Amino acid sequence: MAGAARAAPPDLTGVWSVVDPPHALRPIDGSAPPLTPSARALYEQHLAAAARGDRSFDGMTRCLPPGLPRLLFVNQPFEILERPKVIYFIYQLNRLPRRAYLGEQLPDDADPLWLGYSVARWDGDTLVIDSAGFNDLTLLDDAGLPHSEALRLTERYRLSRDGRHLDARFTIDDPKSYTRPWTVRARYVRRPGYEIPEEFCMDALRRTHPAGHL
Amino acid sequence: MSGCHSSHGMRRVALGLSLAAGCLAVLAAGTGGADQQTPAASTSDRAQPQRPFRPTTLFNSGDPTLALTPPLLGGGRAPPGSAPPNPDPRDLEGVWWVQGYEYLLGPAPGVPPPLKPKYMQILEQRIRAKNRGTPEADTETQCLSHGMPRLMESPYPIEIVQTPGRITFLHEVAHEVRRIWMNRPHPPHPRISFLGDSVGRWQGDTLIVDTVAIDDRSFIDDEGSSHSTRLHLVERYRKIDGGAALELIMTVEDPVTLEHAYSYRRILHWRPDVRPEEYICEENNRNAPVNGITVAK
Repeated sequence: MAGAARAAPPDLTGVWSVVDPPHALRPIDGSAPPLTPSARALYEQHLAAAARGDRSFDGMTRCLPPGLPRLLFVNQPFEILERPKVIYFIYQLNRLPRRAYLGEQLPDDADPLWLGYSVARWDGDTLVIDSAGFNDLTLLDDAGLPHSEALRLTERYRLSRDGRHLDARFTIDDPKSYTRPWTVRARYVRRPGYEIPEEFCMDALRRTHPAGHL
Repeated sequence: MSGCHSSHGMRRVALGLSLAAGCLAVLAAGTGGADQQTPAASTSDRAQPQRPFRPTTLFNSGDPTLALTPPLLGGGRAPPGSAPPNPDPRDLEGVWWVQGYEYLLGPAPGVPPPLKPKYMQILEQRIRAKNRGTPEADTETQCLSHGMPRLMESPYPIEIVQTPGRITFLHEVAHEVRRIWMNRPHPPHPRISFLGDSVGRWQGDTLIVDTVAIDDRSFIDDEGSSHSTRLHLVERYRKIDGGAALELIMTVEDPVTLEHAYSYRRILHWRPDVRPEEYICEENNRNAPVNGITVAK
Protein backbone atom coordinates (compact mmCIF):
# COMPACT_ATOMS: atom_id res chain seq x y z
CA MET A 1 0.00 0.00 0.00
CA ALA A 2 1.25 3.42 -0.93
CA GLY A 3 -0.14 4.71 2.33
CA ALA A 4 2.17 2.57 4.43
CA ALA A 5 4.82 5.26 4.76
CA ARG A 6 2.32 8.04 5.41
CA ALA A 7 0.96 9.32 8.65
CA ALA A 8 -1.80 7.25 10.19
CA PRO A 9 -5.08 7.61 8.29
CA PRO A 10 -7.79 9.75 9.88
CA ASP A 11 -9.77 7.89 12.51
CA LEU A 12 -13.35 7.57 11.37
CA THR A 13 -14.38 5.30 14.26
CA GLY A 14 -17.60 6.53 15.79
CA VAL A 15 -21.28 7.07 15.11
CA TRP A 16 -22.44 9.14 12.12
CA SER A 17 -25.73 10.35 10.62
CA VAL A 18 -26.49 11.41 7.08
CA VAL A 19 -27.33 15.10 6.58
CA ASP A 20 -30.42 15.98 4.51
CA PRO A 21 -30.79 12.70 2.60
CA PRO A 22 -32.57 13.15 -0.74
CA HIS A 23 -35.64 11.14 -1.72
CA ALA A 24 -34.40 10.89 -5.32
CA LEU A 25 -30.73 10.84 -6.25
CA ARG A 26 -29.43 13.28 -8.83
CA PRO A 27 -25.99 13.84 -10.28
CA ILE A 28 -23.99 16.60 -8.61
CA ASP A 29 -24.62 18.96 -11.54
CA GLY A 30 -28.38 18.66 -10.96
CA SER A 31 -29.07 16.88 -14.24
CA ALA A 32 -31.38 13.89 -14.45
CA PRO A 33 -29.90 10.42 -13.87
CA PRO A 34 -28.74 9.12 -17.30
CA LEU A 35 -31.10 6.16 -17.45
CA THR A 36 -30.95 3.69 -20.31
CA PRO A 37 -34.33 3.10 -22.03
CA SER A 38 -35.01 -0.21 -20.26
CA ALA A 39 -34.07 1.21 -16.86
CA ARG A 40 -36.21 4.27 -17.54
CA ALA A 41 -39.20 2.03 -18.25
CA LEU A 42 -38.67 0.22 -14.96
CA TYR A 43 -38.21 3.49 -13.09
CA GLU A 44 -41.45 4.85 -14.53
CA GLN A 45 -43.25 1.69 -13.40
CA HIS A 46 -41.94 2.30 -9.89
CA LEU A 47 -43.03 5.95 -9.95
CA ALA A 48 -46.49 4.99 -11.18
CA ALA A 49 -46.88 2.29 -8.55
CA ALA A 50 -45.74 4.64 -5.79
CA ALA A 51 -48.25 7.22 -7.00
CA ARG A 52 -50.98 4.58 -6.53
CA GLY A 53 -49.69 3.91 -3.02
CA ASP A 54 -48.23 0.55 -4.06
CA ARG A 55 -44.68 0.18 -2.81
CA SER A 56 -44.47 -3.58 -3.28
CA PHE A 57 -41.55 -2.97 -5.66
CA ASP A 58 -39.57 -1.83 -2.63
CA GLY A 59 -38.07 -4.69 -0.60
CA MET A 60 -37.40 -2.33 2.30
CA THR A 61 -41.12 -2.45 3.04
CA ARG A 62 -40.57 -6.16 3.80
CA CYS A 63 -37.39 -5.59 5.82
CA LEU A 64 -35.10 -6.58 2.98
CA PRO A 65 -31.80 -4.68 2.83
CA PRO A 66 -31.93 -1.39 0.95
CA GLY A 67 -28.81 -2.22 -1.02
CA LEU A 68 -26.27 0.38 -2.05
CA PRO A 69 -26.02 3.30 -2.39
CA ARG A 70 -29.49 3.60 -0.86
CA LEU A 71 -28.31 2.36 2.53
CA LEU A 72 -25.86 5.28 2.61
CA PHE A 73 -28.82 7.69 2.60
CA VAL A 74 -31.00 5.94 5.16
CA ASN A 75 -31.84 8.52 7.78
CA GLN A 76 -30.65 6.49 10.77
CA PRO A 77 -27.22 6.55 12.43
CA PHE A 78 -24.47 4.09 11.64
CA GLU A 79 -21.18 3.25 13.22
CA ILE A 80 -17.75 3.03 11.66
CA LEU A 81 -15.18 0.77 13.30
CA GLU A 82 -11.85 1.45 11.63
CA ARG A 83 -9.28 -1.31 11.97
CA PRO A 84 -6.02 -1.88 10.11
CA LYS A 85 -7.31 -4.54 7.72
CA VAL A 86 -11.05 -3.93 7.66
CA ILE A 87 -13.29 -0.90 7.95
CA TYR A 88 -16.65 -1.93 9.39
CA PHE A 89 -19.85 0.00 8.84
CA ILE A 90 -22.64 -1.13 11.16
CA TYR A 91 -25.97 0.48 10.41
CA GLN A 92 -28.69 0.95 12.96
CA LEU A 93 -31.16 -0.08 10.24
CA ASN A 94 -31.84 -3.74 11.02
CA ARG A 95 -28.21 -4.09 12.25
CA LEU A 96 -26.88 -4.33 8.70
CA PRO A 97 -23.11 -4.71 8.55
CA ARG A 98 -20.65 -3.86 5.80
CA ARG A 99 -17.00 -4.80 5.68
CA ALA A 100 -14.55 -3.03 3.40
CA TYR A 101 -11.30 -4.98 3.16
CA LEU A 102 -8.17 -2.82 2.97
CA GLY A 103 -5.39 -3.69 0.58
CA GLU A 104 -7.44 -6.15 -1.45
CA GLN A 105 -8.76 -6.20 -4.99
CA LEU A 106 -12.35 -6.80 -5.99
CA PRO A 107 -12.89 -10.36 -7.16
CA ASP A 108 -13.47 -10.64 -10.91
CA ASP A 109 -16.80 -12.37 -10.49
CA ALA A 110 -18.18 -11.53 -7.05
CA ASP A 111 -21.31 -13.42 -6.00
CA PRO A 112 -24.40 -11.22 -6.10
CA LEU A 113 -25.22 -10.02 -2.59
CA TRP A 114 -27.62 -7.49 -1.10
CA LEU A 115 -24.77 -5.27 0.06
CA GLY A 116 -22.11 -6.35 -2.41
CA TYR A 117 -18.46 -7.00 -1.81
CA SER A 118 -16.26 -4.06 -0.83
CA VAL A 119 -12.55 -3.28 -0.81
CA ALA A 120 -11.01 -0.12 0.60
CA ARG A 121 -7.90 1.99 0.19
CA TRP A 122 -6.64 5.31 1.39
CA ASP A 123 -6.03 7.86 -1.35
CA GLY A 124 -4.15 10.41 0.76
CA ASP A 125 -6.64 11.27 3.47
CA THR A 126 -9.61 10.11 1.42
CA LEU A 127 -11.08 6.70 2.08
CA VAL A 128 -12.02 5.06 -1.20
CA ILE A 129 -14.29 2.02 -1.22
CA ASP A 130 -14.96 0.05 -4.38
CA SER A 131 -17.88 -2.36 -4.41
CA ALA A 132 -19.30 -4.88 -6.84
CA GLY A 133 -21.25 -8.11 -6.63
CA PHE A 134 -24.73 -6.71 -6.12
CA ASN A 135 -28.00 -8.47 -6.76
CA ASP A 136 -30.58 -6.51 -8.75
CA LEU A 137 -33.32 -6.76 -6.11
CA THR A 138 -32.60 -3.37 -4.56
CA LEU A 139 -33.04 0.25 -5.61
CA LEU A 140 -30.59 3.11 -5.76
CA ASP A 141 -32.88 5.46 -3.85
CA ASP A 142 -36.25 5.83 -2.16
CA ALA A 143 -37.83 7.05 -5.39
CA GLY A 144 -37.12 3.73 -7.08
CA LEU A 145 -34.15 4.21 -9.41
CA PRO A 146 -33.22 0.71 -10.54
CA HIS A 147 -29.86 -0.92 -11.07
CA SER A 148 -28.57 -4.16 -12.51
CA GLU A 149 -26.12 -6.77 -11.25
CA ALA A 150 -23.47 -4.91 -13.25
CA LEU A 151 -23.54 -2.06 -10.70
CA ARG A 152 -20.16 -0.93 -9.43
CA LEU A 153 -20.05 1.69 -6.74
CA THR A 154 -17.14 3.88 -5.70
CA GLU A 155 -17.45 5.73 -2.41
CA ARG A 156 -15.02 8.48 -1.44
CA TYR A 157 -15.09 9.77 2.14
CA ARG A 158 -13.09 12.68 3.46
CA LEU A 159 -13.06 13.91 7.04
CA SER A 160 -13.66 17.65 7.38
CA ARG A 161 -10.93 19.75 8.93
CA ASP A 162 -12.80 20.02 12.22
CA GLY A 163 -13.27 16.25 12.29
CA ARG A 164 -17.05 16.59 12.69
CA HIS A 165 -18.21 15.89 9.18
CA LEU A 166 -17.57 13.34 6.50
CA ASP A 167 -17.94 14.62 2.98
CA ALA A 168 -18.66 11.89 0.50
CA ARG A 169 -19.08 11.31 -3.20
CA PHE A 170 -20.51 8.15 -4.63
CA THR A 171 -20.03 7.17 -8.25
CA ILE A 172 -22.61 4.84 -9.76
CA ASP A 173 -21.34 2.83 -12.71
CA ASP A 174 -23.94 0.48 -14.16
CA PRO A 175 -23.76 0.37 -17.96
CA LYS A 176 -26.92 -1.72 -18.18
CA SER A 177 -29.00 0.89 -16.37
CA TYR A 178 -27.18 4.19 -16.96
CA THR A 179 -25.56 5.54 -20.11
CA ARG A 180 -22.56 6.86 -18.18
CA PRO A 181 -21.16 6.79 -14.64
CA TRP A 182 -22.63 9.52 -12.48
CA THR A 183 -21.71 10.92 -9.11
CA VAL A 184 -23.79 12.02 -6.14
CA ARG A 185 -22.81 13.91 -3.05
CA ALA A 186 -23.50 13.11 0.60
CA ARG A 187 -22.59 14.54 3.96
CA TYR A 188 -22.45 12.92 7.39
CA VAL A 189 -22.17 14.41 10.85
CA ARG A 190 -20.62 12.83 13.92
CA ARG A 191 -22.99 11.81 16.69
CA PRO A 192 -20.82 11.92 19.78
CA GLY A 193 -22.33 10.07 22.72
CA TYR A 194 -25.00 8.34 20.62
CA GLU A 195 -25.11 4.60 21.20
CA ILE A 196 -26.81 2.60 18.48
CA PRO A 197 -29.76 0.69 19.93
CA GLU A 198 -30.62 -2.84 18.86
CA GLU A 199 -33.11 -2.79 16.01
CA PHE A 200 -34.98 -5.67 14.41
CA CYS A 201 -36.94 -4.53 11.39
CA MET A 202 -39.38 -7.43 11.65
CA ASP A 203 -40.20 -6.39 15.20
CA ALA A 204 -41.09 -2.88 14.09
CA LEU A 205 -43.06 -4.28 11.15
CA ARG A 206 -45.05 -6.59 13.41
CA ARG A 207 -46.00 -3.64 15.57
CA THR A 208 -47.42 -1.90 12.52
CA HIS A 209 -48.92 -5.12 11.04
CA PRO A 210 -50.35 -6.80 14.14
CA ALA A 211 -51.58 -9.84 12.20
CA GLY A 212 -47.97 -10.76 11.58
CA HIS A 213 -48.63 -11.53 7.94
CA LEU A 214 -46.62 -9.84 5.24
CA MET B 1 -20.61 -32.65 11.54
CA SER B 2 -18.84 -29.97 9.57
CA GLY B 3 -21.19 -30.62 6.67
CA CYS B 4 -23.94 -28.81 8.51
CA HIS B 5 -22.22 -25.50 8.72
CA SER B 6 -18.87 -25.31 7.04
CA SER B 7 -19.83 -25.69 3.44
CA HIS B 8 -20.29 -22.46 1.56
CA GLY B 9 -23.71 -23.38 0.32
CA MET B 10 -25.25 -24.53 3.56
CA ARG B 11 -24.23 -21.35 5.28
CA ARG B 12 -26.44 -19.49 2.88
CA VAL B 13 -29.48 -21.19 4.34
CA ALA B 14 -31.10 -18.33 6.08
CA LEU B 15 -33.62 -19.78 8.47
CA GLY B 16 -32.87 -21.61 11.63
CA LEU B 17 -35.54 -24.17 10.91
CA SER B 18 -34.15 -24.91 7.50
CA LEU B 19 -30.70 -25.18 8.99
CA ALA B 20 -31.85 -27.50 11.68
CA ALA B 21 -33.63 -29.67 9.16
CA GLY B 22 -30.56 -29.81 6.93
CA CYS B 23 -28.31 -30.68 9.81
CA LEU B 24 -30.69 -33.33 11.04
CA ALA B 25 -30.58 -34.93 7.62
CA VAL B 26 -26.81 -34.96 7.73
CA LEU B 27 -26.90 -36.41 11.21
CA ALA B 28 -29.23 -39.15 10.15
CA ALA B 29 -27.16 -39.97 7.11
CA GLY B 30 -23.73 -39.61 8.60
CA THR B 31 -23.80 -40.82 12.15
CA GLY B 32 -26.61 -43.30 12.17
CA GLY B 33 -26.55 -45.28 15.35
CA ALA B 34 -23.50 -43.53 16.73
CA ASP B 35 -25.20 -42.99 20.04
CA GLN B 36 -25.86 -46.68 20.36
CA GLN B 37 -22.28 -47.60 19.57
CA THR B 38 -20.67 -49.42 22.45
CA PRO B 39 -16.95 -49.85 23.09
CA ALA B 40 -17.35 -53.61 22.78
CA ALA B 41 -18.44 -53.18 19.18
CA SER B 42 -15.09 -51.68 18.28
CA THR B 43 -12.00 -53.69 17.52
CA SER B 44 -9.75 -50.95 18.83
CA ASP B 45 -11.33 -49.91 22.10
CA ARG B 46 -8.34 -47.94 23.28
CA ALA B 47 -8.14 -45.81 20.17
CA GLN B 48 -11.81 -44.83 20.33
CA PRO B 49 -12.68 -42.59 23.22
CA GLN B 50 -16.02 -43.50 24.69
CA ARG B 51 -18.66 -40.89 24.10
CA PRO B 52 -20.02 -39.80 27.47
CA PHE B 53 -23.57 -40.81 28.24
CA ARG B 54 -26.15 -38.25 27.26
CA PRO B 55 -29.93 -38.40 27.38
CA THR B 56 -31.69 -38.46 24.03
CA THR B 57 -35.08 -37.64 25.57
CA LEU B 58 -35.99 -35.04 28.15
CA PHE B 59 -35.15 -36.43 31.62
CA ASN B 60 -33.93 -39.58 29.81
CA SER B 61 -37.57 -40.67 29.99
CA GLY B 62 -37.46 -42.71 26.79
CA ASP B 63 -40.69 -40.94 25.81
CA PRO B 64 -40.41 -40.32 22.05
CA THR B 65 -42.67 -37.27 22.30
CA LEU B 66 -39.92 -35.75 24.44
CA ALA B 67 -37.09 -36.60 22.03
CA LEU B 68 -34.29 -34.04 22.08
CA THR B 69 -32.78 -32.76 18.88
CA PRO B 70 -29.40 -34.50 18.57
CA PRO B 71 -26.45 -32.16 19.01
CA LEU B 72 -23.88 -31.40 16.38
CA LEU B 73 -20.57 -32.69 17.62
CA GLY B 74 -17.04 -31.58 16.86
CA GLY B 75 -16.41 -29.20 14.01
CA GLY B 76 -15.42 -25.62 14.14
CA ARG B 77 -11.65 -26.10 13.80
CA ALA B 78 -9.45 -24.28 11.31
CA PRO B 79 -8.09 -26.50 8.53
CA PRO B 80 -4.41 -27.48 8.65
CA GLY B 81 -2.12 -24.84 7.22
CA SER B 82 -4.26 -21.90 8.42
CA ALA B 83 -2.55 -18.76 9.69
CA PRO B 84 -1.21 -19.20 13.24
CA PRO B 85 -3.29 -17.82 16.12
CA ASN B 86 -2.46 -14.59 17.88
CA PRO B 87 -1.10 -15.51 21.33
CA ASP B 88 -1.85 -12.06 22.87
CA PRO B 89 -4.33 -13.03 25.59
CA ARG B 90 -6.16 -9.70 25.47
CA ASP B 91 -6.42 -9.43 21.71
CA LEU B 92 -9.50 -11.39 20.70
CA GLU B 93 -9.84 -9.82 17.26
CA GLY B 94 -10.62 -12.18 14.46
CA VAL B 95 -13.10 -14.85 13.55
CA TRP B 96 -14.14 -17.62 15.97
CA TRP B 97 -16.41 -20.62 15.52
CA VAL B 98 -18.06 -22.56 18.30
CA GLN B 99 -17.37 -26.27 18.53
CA GLY B 100 -20.51 -28.38 18.44
CA TYR B 101 -24.04 -27.20 18.84
CA GLU B 102 -26.26 -28.13 21.75
CA TYR B 103 -30.00 -27.65 21.40
CA LEU B 104 -30.49 -27.73 25.16
CA LEU B 105 -28.27 -25.32 27.11
CA GLY B 106 -28.32 -26.81 30.58
CA PRO B 107 -25.51 -27.59 32.99
CA ALA B 108 -24.55 -30.79 31.12
CA PRO B 109 -25.15 -32.22 27.63
CA GLY B 110 -28.75 -33.37 27.19
CA VAL B 111 -29.78 -31.90 30.53
CA PRO B 112 -32.24 -28.99 30.67
CA PRO B 113 -31.62 -25.81 32.61
CA PRO B 114 -32.84 -26.08 36.22
CA LEU B 115 -36.23 -24.64 35.34
CA LYS B 116 -38.92 -24.12 37.94
CA PRO B 117 -41.80 -26.62 37.51
CA LYS B 118 -44.05 -24.20 35.63
CA TYR B 119 -41.33 -23.46 33.08
CA MET B 120 -40.25 -27.09 32.83
CA GLN B 121 -43.84 -27.86 31.79
CA ILE B 122 -43.62 -25.18 29.11
CA LEU B 123 -40.35 -26.71 27.86
CA GLU B 124 -42.06 -30.12 27.68
CA GLN B 125 -44.91 -28.60 25.67
CA ARG B 126 -42.48 -27.00 23.26
CA ILE B 127 -40.50 -30.21 22.78
CA ARG B 128 -43.72 -32.16 22.19
CA ALA B 129 -44.90 -29.57 19.65
CA LYS B 130 -41.56 -29.83 17.86
CA ASN B 131 -41.82 -33.63 17.75
CA ARG B 132 -45.33 -33.36 16.33
CA GLY B 133 -43.89 -31.29 13.49
CA THR B 134 -45.53 -28.05 14.60
CA PRO B 135 -42.82 -26.27 16.54
CA GLU B 136 -43.62 -23.01 18.27
CA ALA B 137 -42.63 -20.09 16.06
CA ASP B 138 -39.67 -18.89 18.07
CA THR B 139 -37.99 -15.53 17.62
CA GLU B 140 -35.33 -16.57 15.13
CA THR B 141 -37.94 -18.22 12.91
CA GLN B 142 -39.60 -14.83 12.64
CA CYS B 143 -36.34 -13.09 11.72
CA LEU B 144 -36.12 -11.66 15.20
CA SER B 145 -33.12 -12.26 17.41
CA HIS B 146 -31.82 -15.61 18.65
CA GLY B 147 -31.61 -14.01 22.05
CA MET B 148 -29.08 -14.94 24.70
CA PRO B 149 -27.38 -17.21 25.60
CA ARG B 150 -28.68 -19.09 22.55
CA LEU B 151 -26.93 -16.75 20.09
CA MET B 152 -23.51 -17.78 21.39
CA GLU B 153 -24.35 -21.40 20.54
CA SER B 154 -25.25 -20.72 16.94
CA PRO B 155 -22.99 -22.69 14.56
CA TYR B 156 -21.87 -19.71 12.53
CA PRO B 157 -18.73 -17.57 12.65
CA ILE B 158 -18.40 -14.75 15.14
CA GLU B 159 -16.06 -11.88 14.28
CA ILE B 160 -14.70 -9.97 17.26
CA VAL B 161 -13.64 -6.34 16.76
CA GLN B 162 -11.84 -4.38 19.49
CA THR B 163 -11.92 -0.60 19.52
CA PRO B 164 -11.29 1.79 22.44
CA GLY B 165 -13.82 1.14 25.19
CA ARG B 166 -15.64 -1.51 23.19
CA ILE B 167 -15.55 -5.12 22.17
CA THR B 168 -17.99 -5.89 19.38
CA PHE B 169 -19.22 -9.33 18.39
CA LEU B 170 -20.36 -9.44 14.78
CA HIS B 171 -22.28 -12.68 14.28
CA GLU B 172 -22.73 -14.02 10.80
CA VAL B 173 -26.06 -15.52 11.79
CA ALA B 174 -28.75 -12.90 11.11
CA HIS B 175 -25.94 -10.30 11.34
CA GLU B 176 -26.59 -9.98 15.03
CA VAL B 177 -24.40 -7.41 16.77
CA ARG B 178 -23.35 -7.49 20.41
CA ARG B 179 -21.77 -4.31 21.75
CA ILE B 180 -19.83 -4.92 24.95
CA TRP B 181 -19.00 -1.68 26.71
CA MET B 182 -15.76 -1.97 28.64
CA ASN B 183 -15.15 -0.75 32.18
CA ARG B 184 -18.47 0.84 32.84
CA PRO B 185 -21.53 -0.21 34.84
CA HIS B 186 -24.92 -1.02 33.38
CA PRO B 187 -27.14 2.06 33.11
CA PRO B 188 -29.62 2.32 35.98
CA HIS B 189 -32.55 1.50 33.69
CA PRO B 190 -31.20 -0.35 30.66
CA ARG B 191 -33.48 -0.64 27.65
CA ILE B 192 -34.81 -4.17 27.22
CA SER B 193 -33.41 -5.74 24.05
CA PHE B 194 -32.95 -9.23 22.65
CA LEU B 195 -29.22 -9.29 23.30
CA GLY B 196 -29.37 -7.21 26.45
CA ASP B 197 -27.04 -4.59 27.88
CA SER B 198 -23.50 -5.95 28.03
CA VAL B 199 -20.56 -4.54 29.96
CA GLY B 200 -17.09 -6.07 30.09
CA ARG B 201 -13.82 -5.98 31.98
CA TRP B 202 -10.55 -7.85 32.02
CA GLN B 203 -9.63 -9.86 35.08
CA GLY B 204 -6.11 -10.96 34.31
CA ASP B 205 -6.34 -12.61 30.93
CA THR B 206 -10.06 -13.38 31.27
CA LEU B 207 -12.67 -11.16 29.68
CA ILE B 208 -15.76 -11.03 31.87
CA VAL B 209 -18.97 -9.92 30.19
CA ASP B 210 -22.05 -9.17 32.27
CA THR B 211 -25.40 -8.98 30.48
CA VAL B 212 -28.85 -7.93 31.75
CA ALA B 213 -32.14 -6.53 30.38
CA ILE B 214 -32.85 -9.32 27.89
CA ASP B 215 -36.20 -9.47 26.10
CA ASP B 216 -38.20 -12.44 27.41
CA ARG B 217 -39.63 -13.38 24.01
CA SER B 218 -36.43 -15.29 23.22
CA PHE B 219 -35.51 -18.66 24.71
CA ILE B 220 -32.39 -19.76 26.56
CA ASP B 221 -31.89 -22.52 24.00
CA ASP B 222 -33.27 -24.02 20.80
CA GLU B 223 -35.52 -26.51 22.59
CA GLY B 224 -37.33 -23.62 24.27
CA SER B 225 -36.21 -23.13 27.86
CA SER B 226 -37.82 -19.94 29.12
CA HIS B 227 -36.17 -16.96 30.66
CA SER B 228 -37.50 -13.70 32.01
CA THR B 229 -36.27 -10.14 31.58
CA ARG B 230 -34.39 -10.74 34.85
CA LEU B 231 -32.07 -13.16 33.09
CA HIS B 232 -28.50 -12.37 34.10
CA LEU B 233 -25.57 -13.80 32.16
CA VAL B 234 -21.90 -13.77 33.03
CA GLU B 235 -19.52 -14.91 30.30
CA ARG B 236 -15.87 -15.60 30.99
CA TYR B 237 -13.67 -15.76 27.91
CA ARG B 238 -10.06 -16.92 28.03
CA LYS B 239 -7.66 -17.87 25.26
CA ILE B 240 -6.30 -21.39 25.52
CA ASP B 241 -3.98 -23.50 23.36
CA GLY B 242 -1.82 -20.49 22.55
CA GLY B 243 -4.79 -18.61 21.16
CA ALA B 244 -6.03 -21.43 18.92
CA ALA B 245 -9.19 -21.59 21.00
CA LEU B 246 -11.32 -19.41 23.21
CA GLU B 247 -12.86 -20.96 26.29
CA LEU B 248 -16.27 -19.63 27.29
CA ILE B 249 -17.75 -20.31 30.71
CA MET B 250 -21.37 -19.14 30.59
CA THR B 251 -23.20 -18.60 33.87
CA VAL B 252 -26.98 -18.32 33.63
CA GLU B 253 -29.10 -16.88 36.41
CA ASP B 254 -32.82 -16.07 36.37
CA PRO B 255 -34.75 -15.72 39.63
CA VAL B 256 -38.07 -16.00 37.76
CA THR B 257 -37.65 -19.16 35.68
CA LEU B 258 -34.67 -20.99 37.22
CA GLU B 259 -34.36 -22.81 40.53
CA HIS B 260 -30.71 -21.81 40.74
CA ALA B 261 -27.86 -20.44 38.64
CA TYR B 262 -25.80 -22.83 36.54
CA SER B 263 -22.86 -22.76 34.18
CA TYR B 264 -21.66 -24.53 31.08
CA ARG B 265 -18.43 -24.50 29.10
CA ARG B 266 -17.87 -24.04 25.39
CA ILE B 267 -14.87 -23.89 23.08
CA LEU B 268 -14.66 -21.50 20.13
CA HIS B 269 -11.97 -22.14 17.56
CA TRP B 270 -9.75 -19.49 15.95
CA ARG B 271 -10.71 -19.36 12.28
CA PRO B 272 -8.37 -17.15 10.25
CA ASP B 273 -9.55 -18.97 7.14
CA VAL B 274 -13.15 -17.79 7.49
CA ARG B 275 -14.62 -14.51 6.27
CA PRO B 276 -18.16 -13.87 7.50
CA GLU B 277 -20.73 -14.03 4.75
CA GLU B 278 -23.90 -12.11 4.13
CA TYR B 279 -26.92 -13.66 5.88
CA ILE B 280 -30.32 -12.14 5.20
CA CYS B 281 -33.02 -13.91 7.18
CA GLU B 282 -35.75 -11.75 5.64
CA GLU B 283 -34.90 -13.09 2.18
CA ASN B 284 -36.06 -16.54 3.09
CA ASN B 285 -38.86 -15.89 5.52
CA ARG B 286 -41.16 -18.62 4.29
CA ASN B 287 -42.12 -19.73 7.76
CA ALA B 288 -44.31 -16.83 8.71
CA PRO B 289 -46.30 -18.03 11.69
CA VAL B 290 -49.99 -18.84 11.34
CA ASN B 291 -51.81 -18.39 14.63
CA GLY B 292 -48.49 -18.63 16.42
CA ILE B 293 -47.56 -21.96 14.85
CA THR B 294 -44.88 -22.32 12.23
CA VAL B 295 -46.12 -24.06 9.11
CA ALA B 296 -43.46 -25.30 6.71
CA LYS B 297 -44.12 -24.03 3.22
